[in-house]
Amino acid sequence: MKIAVLVKQVPDTETKIKTKADGSGIEADGVKYIVGPYDENAIEEAIKTKEKNAGSEVTVISLGPVRSVEAIRTALAMGCDKAIHIDDENSNPDAYVTAKALAKVIADKGFEIVFTGKQAIDQDNSQVTQQVAEFLGWPQVMLVEKLEIAGGKATATRRVSGGKEVYEVPLPAIFGCEKGLNTPRYASLPGIMKAKTKPVETLKLSAEKGDAQPKVVLSNFRLPPEKAPGRMIAGDAAAQVKELVRALREEAKVI
Amino acid sequence: MAYKVNYRDVEFNLFDYLKIQDLGQSEKYAGFGKEECSAILGEALKFAQKEIDPLFKKSDQVGCKHEGDKVTAPPGFKEAYHNFAANGFIGMDVPTTYGGMGLPVGLTMAATEFFVGSCIAFSMYSGLTRGSAHLIEAFGSEELAQRFVPNMYGGKWGGTMCLTEPQAGSAVGDLSTVAVKDGDQYKIKGTKIFISSGDHDLTENIIHLVLARVEGDPAGTKGISLFVVPKFRVNPDGSTGEWNDVKTVNIEHKMGIKGSSTCTLSFGDSGNCIGYMLGEQRRGMPMMFQMMNEARIACGLQGAAASSAAYESALDYAKVRTQGGKTLILDYPDVRRMLITMKAYTEGMRALLLYSANLDDKEVVEKDEATKEKYAGRLSLLTPVCKAYCTDMGFKVTELAMQVYGGYGYIAEYPVEQYMRDVKISSIYEGTNGIQALDLIGRKIGQKNGEYFRELYEEMNGFCTKQAAHPAFASEVGSIKKALDQVGQVTMKLAEWGMSGNVLSPQLHAMSYLYNLGDVFVSYLLTDQAVLALAKLEEIWKSQGADNEEKKSKICTENDEARFLEGKVKSARFFVANILPQATARTKAILADDQSPLKIRF
Ligand SMILES: Cc1cc2nc3c(=O)[nH]c(=O)nc-3n(C[C@H](O)[C@H](O)[C@H](O)COP(=O)(O)OP(=O)(O)OC[C@H]3O[C@@H](n4cnc5c(N)ncnc54)[C@H](O)[C@@H]3O)c2cc1C
Repeated sequence: MKIAVLVKQVPDTETKIKTKADGSGIEADGVKYIVGPYDENAIEEAIKTKEKNAGSEVTVISLGPVRSVEAIRTALAMGCDKAIHIDDENSNPDAYVTAKALAKVIADKGFEIVFTGKQAIDQDNSQVTQQVAEFLGWPQVMLVEKLEIAGGKATATRRVSGGKEVYEVPLPAIFGCEKGLNTPRYASLPGIMKAKTKPVETLKLSAEKGDAQPKVVLSNFRLPPEKAPGRMIAGDAAAQVKELVRALREEAKVI
Repeated sequence: MAYKVNYRDVEFNLFDYLKIQDLGQSEKYAGFGKEECSAILGEALKFAQKEIDPLFKKSDQVGCKHEGDKVTAPPGFKEAYHNFAANGFIGMDVPTTYGGMGLPVGLTMAATEFFVGSCIAFSMYSGLTRGSAHLIEAFGSEELAQRFVPNMYGGKWGGTMCLTEPQAGSAVGDLSTVAVKDGDQYKIKGTKIFISSGDHDLTENIIHLVLARVEGDPAGTKGISLFVVPKFRVNPDGSTGEWNDVKTVNIEHKMGIKGSSTCTLSFGDSGNCIGYMLGEQRRGMPMMFQMMNEARIACGLQGAAASSAAYESALDYAKVRTQGGKTLILDYPDVRRMLITMKAYTEGMRALLLYSANLDDKEVVEKDEATKEKYAGRLSLLTPVCKAYCTDMGFKVTELAMQVYGGYGYIAEYPVEQYMRDVKISSIYEGTNGIQALDLIGRKIGQKNGEYFRELYEEMNGFCTKQAAHPAFASEVGSIKKALDQVGQVTMKLAEWGMSGNVLSPQLHAMSYLYNLGDVFVSYLLTDQAVLALAKLEEIWKSQGADNEEKKSKICTENDEARFLEGKVKSARFFVANILPQATARTKAILADDQSPLKIRF
């Protein structure tokens, strides 16, 4: 089976984000980048699928600036076989342009199943997976927590409020992976050493996106306002409850 | 409570100061550039934080259990151990022949700091397995190595080192375990105590390396041989056979590292315990020393890693705890004194250990035999310093961490009391620190007619000469030079005492001497690093157009890298100004040679 996994390199959740003074983006200086956490579940599922289907091969695809190759190396070290880097030529494309280019590459290379994270944690848009499916005309299941593949079909389970939905879809198809799907493996030491000998093909976004134009323009970046400090309510229990209820009703207006 | 470490300082040591990435140009480490080393280091930290750190509390609160004939490690240890092994972490720095990873020793040491710092008890199992497997690999026959080693590095079987007996602790030569020849193998009989990882449920089998005396061999260390003694026999085809008459009599209840089992093992109660001799007969001690030397440095790492974890924890606490209105305790001078003391010691120990580990790598890649020997000799000289200095200072740092926390440090809700209890053992096992000091003055200083010592001295002296007029550090360099000369002076005195037949005074002052050498060497390393850090900081200032103090200060507040570099400079200054003078005071005391300890009637 020809398996692809789409990953995005995102800032580490522990990085202190600073915005550029002119609001045009975030300061790249001092930001530590990681593989998107949900993308790790996607990588794990892709490798597991390969292990269960002899003769399969996993290609990791990342669209982004040159530094994205670090994320690609991590995926290769975890056990993906080869990689495609679509260099965004520092254009920071929106979900639409990204999905257009990815869909084209997936179609060109003839992948039969594609995994992604349920969302990238940088902008939390959760758009690319569905759009890729749309452009390819493939079925897609998002927030997948359980997946079984047999006889050219996949059975995917996802959680919805109050229950579960089970989808049976024909392949090729694309799956947006959720945390509970699996436990991502670590990049083992032999894996890290092997990763640098695995092939990485480089494509250019300008060549792959066709005539797609961005639908979203990011005009201004700013940090969320700082949270006001908490307030201690004094007095005995009865007085505290009274004051708390009053504050919730009149100040916070939540009850 | 999550485990934290100053990752940048680890990187600074490896890539900026020691430049381990240059090893990648050698044949042996071809391909280990900075990118690969960083990826490995990053993965190690991730593993420590996500998989080992959650075991820290349980390791202490649940501990090991001995029920019936089974010893169990705390919950979660087994799964984590197998995960650890599967990632290749057990045999990181050993050759790839039998399943090691063949990584540089310095890189391995840096990664291991994370494993040890996040839970010392957990790291004991893999550490002992690695050490014992490496010993079989180094001295065993091809057949023996093939039979045992791959499964040990692979995490299927564990390993131990069995020296101690009730009457033979520091004096290993007094051991009474015997080996009787039985065809190609030996029958082992005896009792070993305090055996770390001696029994547990992490692995299917445990391979003990046992020191014993072949029947008829002379008393003392010269009559000792080394045996591979599995808990379950291993058939020549690799399959596991019957139980090998190794019985766990008891496990100890102890102050710290409760998640690491400490066992009394009875070998051959029923006369049915088989051992395979490793290497030559009566050569047990020199071989065991390979493992012990590695283990001594690993012990030093326990001191350094616990310090680092305790420091980070205390620092975080000091940044949120207020007393006296809105004042953070971080802002009280006495708390700041404690924190910078911890920081400076921690960075000093890390620098000492990584420098030492790097000697191993330099030796391996070096082609010239004389230089090779020089590196090996220096490492052997520094080994007792790494062990005793880092474990004693390590304990001191964890104690300071508790002091920073105040009453909250003393209670079990916070991690620092556990760091302190866990790390204490490191100054006792692997040869007590007292024994290390004797090793330093009795064997190491005089090795090869004092040549290794002289070369180390010359390295420090050369630094002092080179940087004597350094615009920022001339005063520190002057202090180091003075303290170094005093080390030289005391070394002469020790020799003089020895030659005049006074053997007691050198023993009496051995520990002070070891601390002095440690303080001076660490001062040198920290200041040498500070010279580099300041140069880098000045580049940042220059590139950002900071031409006055205000702008420079602003950059150090806002830019993480600048803040780190400035912190390195402060660590060095503080260490030389506040800690190094202790060496001068001790020098005075040594030369005064007060005999009260020897004369007092207890
Ligand atoms: C938790 C734990 C784990 C251990 N793990 C292992 C293990 O895996 N394998 C193993 O073989 N052993 C192990 N040990 C044993 C440990 O190595 C010994 O306890 C240690 O070597 C000291 O021996 P001892 O306890 O008999 O003390 P002693 O030798 O009785 O020492 C008592 C004191 O006397 C001093 N002293 C003794 N001789 C001299 C001398 N010649 N000159 C100056 N001072 C001296 C010592 O420094 C010490 O202060 C472990 C011990 C513990 C507590």
